[in-house]
Amino acid sequence: MSDEYYDEFAEEEFEGHVDRGVIWRIIMQGLQHWHLMVGFLIAIVGTAYVDSRLTFLSKRMIDEGIVAQDVDALRALAIQYGYTFVVLAVCVFVFIFSAGVLSHRVQYDLRKAMFARLQNLSLSYYNRTPLGWLMSRMTSDVTRVGELVSWGFLDAVWGISNIVIALSFMLYINWRLGLIILALMPVLVWIAIFFQKRILVDYRAVRRLNSEITSAYSESINGVRVVKSLRREEGNLNEFRHLTGDMYDAAFRAAWMSALFLPSVQIVSALGIAATVWLGGIQYNNGGMTIGGIQAFVSYVTFMLWPIQEMARVVASMQQALASAERIYSLLDEEPEIINKADAVDVPHVRGDIEFDHVDFYYDENNPVLTDFNLTVKQGETIALVGPTGSGKSTIVNLLCRFYEPQVGQIRINGRDYTDLTLYALQSRVGMVLQTPHLFSGTVMENILYGRLEATPDEAVEAAKVAGAHGFITDLEEGYETEVGEGGVLLSVGQKQLLSLARAILAQPDIFIMDEATSSVDTLTEALIQQGMETLMEGRTSFVIAHRLSTIKRADRIVVLKDGKIDEIGSHAELIRQRGHYFNLYTKQFRDEKSLAYKVYGDQSGENSSADSWAA
Amino acid sequence: MNRDESNNKVYDMKKVVSPNKLTGLWRLTDQFRTVYLVAILAVGLAALAQTGIYYLLGYLVDDILPEPDAILYLPWLALAFVGLAAGQGGFTYMSGRWAAYTAEHIARRLRDYLYDHLQRLPFTYHDQTQTGELIQRVTSDIDAVRLFYSEQAIGIGRIIFLFTVNLLGIYFLIDPYLAMMSVVVIPFVLIASIFFFIQVGKAFELFQEQESVLSNRFQENISGVRVVKAFARQEYETERFEEENSKKRWVGIRFTSLHGLFWPITDIFCGGQMLLGYWLGANMAINGDITIGQYLAYAQMVNLIIWPIRNMGRLITQASTAAVSYTRLRDIIERKREKLSEGVFRAQTDLAGAICFNDVSFSYDTSLKNEAVKTANTVGYMAQANDSDQRNKIPVLHNISFEVGEGQTVAILGATGSGKTSMINLLPRFYDFDSGYITIDGVDLREYPPEYLRQQIGLVMQEPFLFSGTIRENITYGVYREVTDEDLFAAAKAAAVHDVILSFPDGYSTLVGERGVTLSGGQKQRVTLARTLLKNPRILVLDDATSAVDTETESQIRDALKQILGQRTTFIIAHRVQSVMLADLILVLDEGRIVQRGTHQELVNQPGIYQRVYDLQARIEDELAAELMADNGG
Repeated sequence: MSDEYYDEFAEEEFEGHVDRGVIWRIIMQGLQHWHLMVGFLIAIVGTAYVDSRLTFLSKRMIDEGIVAQDVDALRALAIQYGYTFVVLAVCVFVFIFSAGVLSHRVQYDLRKAMFARLQNLSLSYYNRTPLGWLMSRMTSDVTRVGELVSWGFLDAVWGISNIVIALSFMLYINWRLGLIILALMPVLVWIAIFFQKRILVDYRAVRRLNSEITSAYSESINGVRVVKSLRREEGNLNEFRHLTGDMYDAAFRAAWMSALFLPSVQIVSALGIAATVWLGGIQYNNGGMTIGGIQAFVSYVTFMLWPIQEMARVVASMQQALASAERIYSLLDEEPEIINKADAVDVPHVRGDIEFDHVDFYYDENNPVLTDFNLTVKQGETIALVGPTGSGKSTIVNLLCRFYEPQVGQIRINGRDYTDLTLYALQSRVGMVLQTPHLFSGTVMENILYGRLEATPDEAVEAAKVAGAHGFITDLEEGYETEVGEGGVLLSVGQKQLLSLARAILAQPDIFIMDEATSSVDTLTEALIQQGMETLMEGRTSFVIAHRLSTIKRADRIVVLKDGKIDEIGSHAELIRQRGHYFNLYTKQFRDEKSLAYKVYGDQSGENSSADSWAA
Repeated sequence: MNRDESNNKVYDMKKVVSPNKLTGLWRLTDQFRTVYLVAILAVGLAALAQTGIYYLLGYLVDDILPEPDAILYLPWLALAFVGLAAGQGGFTYMSGRWAAYTAEHIARRLRDYLYDHLQRLPFTYHDQTQTGELIQRVTSDIDAVRLFYSEQAIGIGRIIFLFTVNLLGIYFLIDPYLAMMSVVVIPFVLIASIFFFIQVGKAFELFQEQESVLSNRFQENISGVRVVKAFARQEYETERFEEENSKKRWVGIRFTSLHGLFWPITDIFCGGQMLLGYWLGANMAINGDITIGQYLAYAQMVNLIIWPIRNMGRLITQASTAAVSYTRLRDIIERKREKLSEGVFRAQTDLAGAICFNDVSFSYDTSLKNEAVKTANTVGYMAQANDSDQRNKIPVLHNISFEVGEGQTVAILGATGSGKTSMINLLPRFYDFDSGYITIDGVDLREYPPEYLRQQIGLVMQEPFLFSGTIRENITYGVYREVTDEDLFAAAKAAAVHDVILSFPDGYSTLVGERGVTLSGGQKQRVTLARTLLKNPRILVLDDATSAVDTETESQIRDALKQILGQRTTFIIAHRVQSVMLADLILVLDEGRIVQRGTHQELVNQPGIYQRVYDLQARIEDELAAELMADNGG
């Protein structure tokens, strides 16, 4: 992963200052489903009330039934107790259901909004944002925010209302004792916060060490052959044991701290029970306290453990969830850099001459990619772009597709500044075949139809035939209905290019752009690709980032780029005669290509069927 | 306490594995058994203390409060309550601490052992397993086993103790009939709980699956963003995402609904049970069958019998996944390691490097792969057992014989899959061959311990591999002596990578690997070459070591190597004629057999593969000349 990703990841580990605005936005997010929120708020407060109520009924059963020897009163109370349990069950059902639904709805909303926003962001955003970063926004961050709005909020409300209601009952039963219990609350809260903070620190260490251990494993398994040949087993193991030692320290510490948390709370609340026994006992003698009352106090105080634990948990996880929310909103607030002008027009076709007029472009201010770039391409002409990596070939293509816009200068199509057109008008008329063609998971047919969604299957087959892809497709077990696998893993690079050619042919573009594959493609497929390209280029303005001599030679004009400038330009014959850069490139390429083309070792070369391929 | 451990040997897991899952999990606790038993015992004591608190409450009501001088006893009683609570807390803490102690130690032991074990398993094992799957096992499976000790076993113990202690307490101290009537719903709740958590497990799997479907769709969209934009398909993509997104919402809500049903329904069951107990108990108290104090104690104790049972299902299902994780780890642990020190020959000095292959044949073992297929398809397993030895072998080398004098250079030429790499992989004893013999300096290869051979042989592999760390660390990786800067620079210069390294801002301290700079394929190859040169091996093997290096740099490396080559026996695997021309012996391999051998002079005049390769060069130059002539003319 890139540095940027690592930094963002690190940011996740630190508690930063949280903007109030974020909290407000999260609340608004939940309020979009206000009926669910109201539903679980009522149900959870109801639950807290019913819980305390049950204890209170149990007290009355003792005082009014058992101590008073009154079976009728006991029966009445028992029936009430039964009813109350039904109410409890209903409340539990409602809060689980509404909080769960709310959580999933909010997650759904956030994912939907982020996806929609991402579709409109410019390519530059994707270039500076690693996929891994976006993935964790879409997965773990969304989950955290969804859970905070629902379960986190629910637990907090439950915790608070439970304590408040239980205290009210206690004050009602016996206000003096109730006040003593109330006095214990700050201590309990302080203990909870004290522990949660420390445990959190250790858990973070555990998480970090865990990922270090995983990468140590992955490195040693991937490099096992080197480890063996350099006899590094001992050294590696010693380094690794340092990691597992640290892991042990952090994990054990976190574990025993957690194990200490509840007992500490328990012991403090035992002071409450002791007070109940002592003072309650004294008051029992003068009639101020009943047996049932003592029982109720013991129950209330014992139970107080849980709301405190839950609230401590919520507080601990809230910080992280807020940081997640902040990142999600930063994505949602991202503005696309390239947008339609207010008066941009939609045109059905973008035919005509293309002019790059004094174009300057950089991705990063200190490294200009194109400076004062001028090029005029006639309608229907084929241009081969040639030059070393970083010379600006892809940039020209990116500008042409308006994935980026020139910082200085203009690009005109048919004499008109292309920013006067809508993005859709331009991009829907450009056909593109990438060097490593991207296929979507789905069938072969679906991938071809991507070029023109409303096309019929027959048209798709026709396009495949023109592209020269029909042959290999029908050889596949399920023909056009074959699944290509994620990213097209089940197909070879050559086959993928044929498919993306078919896709581009189906789109019937006005401008065609091709980035040739550098990796070797077998001769037959190569010939098919060439044929398909030629059909597609006919009558269309075409730009080819060319790697193969046959393609280069066939272009109307060759643009040799060097450091963002046109070094040489002209037809193959013209450039050869100049004996310049092109000549050198050409002769070198010729040697390389030929030595590959001749089957040096006979027919079995290139077939890695035997054991060597997986033993290497 | 744990620091000392790193000086000791890694605990040998092999001696505690067991064919039975539960026995195996028990045996894993070796050395921590006392501690772990104490942890479990502490759970029981904590349960006792808690019950004690409630029983004391009954005592308070029955025996103290009615006394006229109760006030005198109350402080002591209050103190007893605090004491019992402290006992309960203390035991709870102890059980948590000792259980974590055991669990973390076992996890650490497993991590250490498996790390070491994996790097000592033979090539044959690694050839046939997938990295991703191994990593999955050593991370999440170890974690599942760890949780078994720290959470599930202790949790199940806790529920059982609470149940038993309180049930017996009610039975013997309060009333047997009341005790029996208090557990009527328990079997139902237990069954419901197990059934429910199995369902939850399934629903959760479904949810996870949908999560990964959604992630894949998202990832595909992002990595295909240029295509999406180039075809202006944003709306279409949004619709497709929407499909899976709303599906995930529904699967999630379904998952929630299961919980929404289980908890309230069992609330009713358990509530009914409570009510039954309270009703019967209260009537008994009114009738004088039990005292009020006893009723009070009962009213609290019955809570501890009923409610915890609902979690039993969760713990049991989790424990059973931990047991499955155990078997997956055991499967790795039981594999046989390479024996690095096996071999009777104890060499006192370095090898001279005279090597002889005599009629050597070799085939790859694919038994692991076939094993996987067989377990998936057990029908006919028995029938195939007889010829399995044959089916598990892929022959790669046939009757290889040749001799190399010390200090000579051997070049090996051949197509992909002709057995070049397999042949030299036999020298450091990465694999065992089937028949024939190999000698080095007249001693049978199998008499040399592999660790000695690997110290004497330097390999530069086809696929360069760098570890995350600095460039300096990577170059000195296999060297166990003090390395001076001069040595380091000399090796880097010979590999033509010194200047490249200095061009980085941090020079030799530049980080490479996952979090460092990305080197090009050629640069990586040159760093690994420098690494091997620095090791200064007696036998040097260059396995297509400069394939990604450009022609100019390659000839630079060739010049540097010329000085080194004469001093040690060297094997060069290459495709380009220039790289092999100077060798003392050229071997041409085809389908695992040596089809041509000799010097460049001899081979070039002999019809065959070598001549074809050589002629090609000239032919290409002719064609190029013709081509240029034609273009100039036209």
